[in-house]
Amino acid sequence: MDATTHAANPAKARNLDTVLLRKRLKSGLAHGAVLVLVLIMLLPLVYMVMMSFKTSTEIAQNPLGLPESLYWGNYMRALSEMGYVRSVLNSLAITVSVILIVVLAGAMAAYPLARMKSRISRIIVMIMALGLATPNFVTITPIYVIFRDLGLLDSYLGIVLAFAALKMPLAVFFYTGFIAAIPLELEEAAKLDNCSNWQIFWHVIRPLLGPVTATLSLFVMIMVWNDFIYPLLLLTDKDKLTVMIAVYKFVGNTGIDPTRLFPAAVLGSLPLLLMFAFFQRKIMAGSTAGAVK
Amino acid sequence: MRRSYNLYLFSLPALIVLVLFFVHPVILTFDMSLTSFKGIGEAKDIGWRNYERIFTRDRYLDEIWLTLWYTVIVVSALTVTGLFFAAMLHRLPAIRNFSRAALYTPAMMSFVVVGYVWQFLYSPINGGINVALRDLGLGWIEQNWLGDPDIALYAVAFVQIWMFTGFTCAIFLAGFANIPEEIGEAGRLEGASSWQRFRYLELPLLGPSITVSVMLTTIGTLKTFELPFILTKGGPDGATRLLSIDIIDNLFGQYKFGFASALSIVMLAVVLVVALVQNRLLAEKE
Repeated sequence: MDATTHAANPAKARNLDTVLLRKRLKSGLAHGAVLVLVLIMLLPLVYMVMMSFKTSTEIAQNPLGLPESLYWGNYMRALSEMGYVRSVLNSLAITVSVILIVVLAGAMAAYPLARMKSRISRIIVMIMALGLATPNFVTITPIYVIFRDLGLLDSYLGIVLAFAALKMPLAVFFYTGFIAAIPLELEEAAKLDNCSNWQIFWHVIRPLLGPVTATLSLFVMIMVWNDFIYPLLLLTDKDKLTVMIAVYKFVGNTGIDPTRLFPAAVLGSLPLLLMFAFFQRKIMAGSTAGAVK
Repeated sequence: MRRSYNLYLFSLPALIVLVLFFVHPVILTFDMSLTSFKGIGEAKDIGWRNYERIFTRDRYLDEIWLTLWYTVIVVSALTVTGLFFAAMLHRLPAIRNFSRAALYTPAMMSFVVVGYVWQFLYSPINGGINVALRDLGLGWIEQNWLGDPDIALYAVAFVQIWMFTGFTCAIFLAGFANIPEEIGEAGRLEGASSWQRFRYLELPLLGPSITVSVMLTTIGTLKTFELPFILTKGGPDGATRLLSIDIIDNLFGQYKFGFASALSIVMLAVVLVVALVQNRLLAEKE
């Protein structure tokens, strides 16, 4: 509404103003209500952080409220006893190794699948789909036995290979969808220059794969960080544990002490939460796009 | 462009990794399932006796049903909560990005940490939820959330729903973003209410997103074992004893590798049958 209409017909203008006001009020209420719901969903995380700063007497007397002061003692103990730094470095090293294998082998495997429609492609895709659908506790026993026989138990190599097999199907699906969308014309020029398949893959296709590789790497990191059963069973050496297993071993399984649990939970989640803060768009887009293919 | 089959050599490294650490283990699991192997010593061949036991005892059939029921609860709830938040946030662009990220955050945490934290939230005396209810004057709702056999399964399911609402919401928001502006605009001009626009214009167009979301959450939920493993260990009174929990218990509690393998093969069959049936049904619907 501009001033001239107001002047011309004040009654109508006032009417319109209340309509606008009501509309704005309604929209404000909707925003507020949904925002409150979203914040309620975050309360368990707030609770986790708050609890980590309380002494055990405070937890008993005031189980829900804000901590009286930021008590860092729980964190000091967790940091010194759970081997946190070491476990973070382990998780990082394992993540990087798994990414190297999965990215290279996955992109290579996807290339023929994206370019050729034959029975062989269908069979390979089928194996990948089976791998994706299989719960990992189905294969953990034989993997344990195989690793024991090959001397791969409690070794970085073993856990890296096991994780690589777990994430390979996802990698192949990511890359297949992506490569299929690369125009064939790009390859045809190279073909005319008598480039081999490998040269085409390496010099034409590979340089275009950056975006998917980034998304895939984030997903590999999430898995290596959070997976429980594989590292729990395949690693026992205290110096080789991943973050979550360090948390689990520090906290224990019965008669859990909250002053141990909550700081360990925060420390265990922190690296991925930080990563999420930086790459949230990529991660969320990946979980929906990877889904479609 | 014609290609020679040589190109499939490119798939070889990935296939080798998968055959060694996925196909081969699955075959070994099947082999082991026909024995009474206990982890050490000779594996004695006992034919199909493990499977006979699974299919003739109520205990295991109940576990299969419980696993399916749990999945139905979680998947339908996740579809509804995800759709709700996505529909809301689609209409509220000012808070959309923040809310989408906030809702997704729990999915970044590990099941182990989430299980531990909720164990404290659910604890009967000083647990966060009961204390909060008391403080709000709602003390009569207080429950022994994980200790009551009638509630425990739903309490565990609730945690999983809490974790992945942001995941389904993100999928649906991507679906909403694909709906052409004009359609919502046309509805508004026709005077359709927000709910009518959702029900008759948007929902039918979200079909592909719903398919993806249901398939992904179904597979993910069928595989669940960490949450009940940390929260209830299958208790109280077997109320949360999913098939996966019994597999882990047979393996690492009792070292009955042979029997656990038979249960694993049954589990795998359940996952595959559900995935195939769902694929067929949802593809038809689309």
